[in-house]
Amino acid sequence: MDNLSELQLDALSEIFNIGAGRAAASLSEIVSEEVKLSVPSVEFRKCSELNAKVLSLDQNQLGVVKQQFSGQFNADACLIFTEDSALEIMRDMMGSHISVEELAEFEQEAMCELGNIILNACLSAMSDMLDIQLESSLPSYSVCSSDEIIDSIVDVENQLYIMILHIDLEIERRQVNGRLIFLFSSSSLGVLRAQIDAFVTRI
Amino acid sequence: MMKNIDTAPQFEWEALFDTVNIGLILINKEGCVLLWNEWIAKYSGVEAKDAINLALVDVFSEPLSKPIIAAIKRAITTKLPVVLSNALHKFPLPLFNLNGSGERISQSIILSPIKQKQGEVICLIQVTDSSTSIKREKMLRDHSELHKKDATMDALTGLYNRRFFDRQYATHLSQAQRQNTTLSLVMLDIDYFKNYNDHYGHPAGDSAIVAVSECIRSKLQRSSDLAARYGGEEFIVMLPNSTVAVAQAFAESVRQAICDLNIAHNNSLIARHLTISVGVSSCLPGMVVDSATFLKNTDLALYAAKQKGRNQVQYLPL
Repeated sequence: MDNLSELQLDALSEIFNIGAGRAAASLSEIVSEEVKLSVPSVEFRKCSELNAKVLSLDQNQLGVVKQQFSGQFNADACLIFTEDSALEIMRDMMGSHISVEELAEFEQEAMCELGNIILNACLSAMSDMLDIQLESSLPSYSVCSSDEIIDSIVDVENQLYIMILHIDLEIERRQVNGRLIFLFSSSSLGVLRAQIDAFVTRI
Repeated sequence: MMKNIDTAPQFEWEALFDTVNIGLILINKEGCVLLWNEWIAKYSGVEAKDAINLALVDVFSEPLSKPIIAAIKRAITTKLPVVLSNALHKFPLPLFNLNGSGERISQSIILSPIKQKQGEVICLIQVTDSSTSIKREKMLRDHSELHKKDATMDALTGLYNRRFFDRQYATHLSQAQRQNTTLSLVMLDIDYFKNYNDHYGHPAGDSAIVAVSECIRSKLQRSSDLAARYGGEEFIVMLPNSTVAVAQAFAESVRQAICDLNIAHNNSLIARHLTISVGVSSCLPGMVVDSATFLKNTDLALYAAKQKGRNQVQYLPL
């Protein structure tokens, strides 16, 4: 029960890569250059197993865009980049629009937009493919340490499972990688599992 | 969320929409305008009656920007909220300042899909004027620039302060050692400055310090040269990529320039005018020396200049 089968994970990975492709297309429009986005791996864990090693983002200052999804199942979704690489992405995305000095003041809002595009694309791919109706809160951005993230996740009651997506993002020849983390209750995971199974039998 | 709208007290919603200090546009999934509040009317110059039931793309006198079109499409198809940040899109909608200048107002936009009872999705577009927050941020940044300047500058002379020098010095020394270039240090102070202060008073002492600092500044050759006030009447100059000969020539030119100022110093024991003593030291390519030792050696060079009678330049090899 604790984990998804290989087949189920493959299906999810395929779905998220479709989402990543859509997000890349949206981001390309913004920066007017090719943006590549892929999800090379998906893994499931129990919340209690989450630690810095599992997160494998060794840098301490992390930029986190968070949205709460609700509907047929509920999930907290966090998109995590190291703060340095988050700033680099923003710098590249803003390009000539803005000077580096002006960057900090806009960072929060711009990161929300970037995170929102990636989170929505992944979630909507999931809701399209798995036929799940979902709503979402607005994105919020914060900077915190990996310990703070882990504490906040391990602390959440009822959210027993986490899904970790590795995200590779390439903008203007700069490569950054991040993580997308979903927190599920076991009932939500049950819904997800059932929908994946239905999806797998359909294809 | 107000779920029990039927039991809530009744009032006129439209008055509320027209009162809020943000722009509200509601469109259906075909992109037709359902609601156009007063704020939007005011800043777009388009009245509600001329917008309602029209496709949003046709409401304005100019074509809608690509980002807002893409964002609306995404909000409607994914049924998830979308944000347009001001950083990435300055003016998504053609909205203008009320002063008639034709200047656009910078905006932050949130698009929220709203599911109707019949299952249809409509989309609320919330527009906020971000120019005030940008102004505030700019002000904060200017303040922090000012503080940064205060933190690196010596207030009296306008030269860098010791803290800034120490940081730069450490970086430049390791860089010089890595790149096998010569880094020279010049340390100088005013001769018999205590006597000068005692005789002419502190304000005059300050003026003398400023005069010396201006001499130093005028003799700096390159943008990479860095002069700092190191103590009361003590100054230090870092000359990256400068040989011993160049550093000595610089030191001598400053010493000469101070003499030429001919500032009266009747309490000096060596001259009738203000003079300085200068120590020079250089870290040559291939030398391995830590920053404290190099600095100490420069100080010793200055000490030697004092010992040998002041108003002179002394070089001390490392």
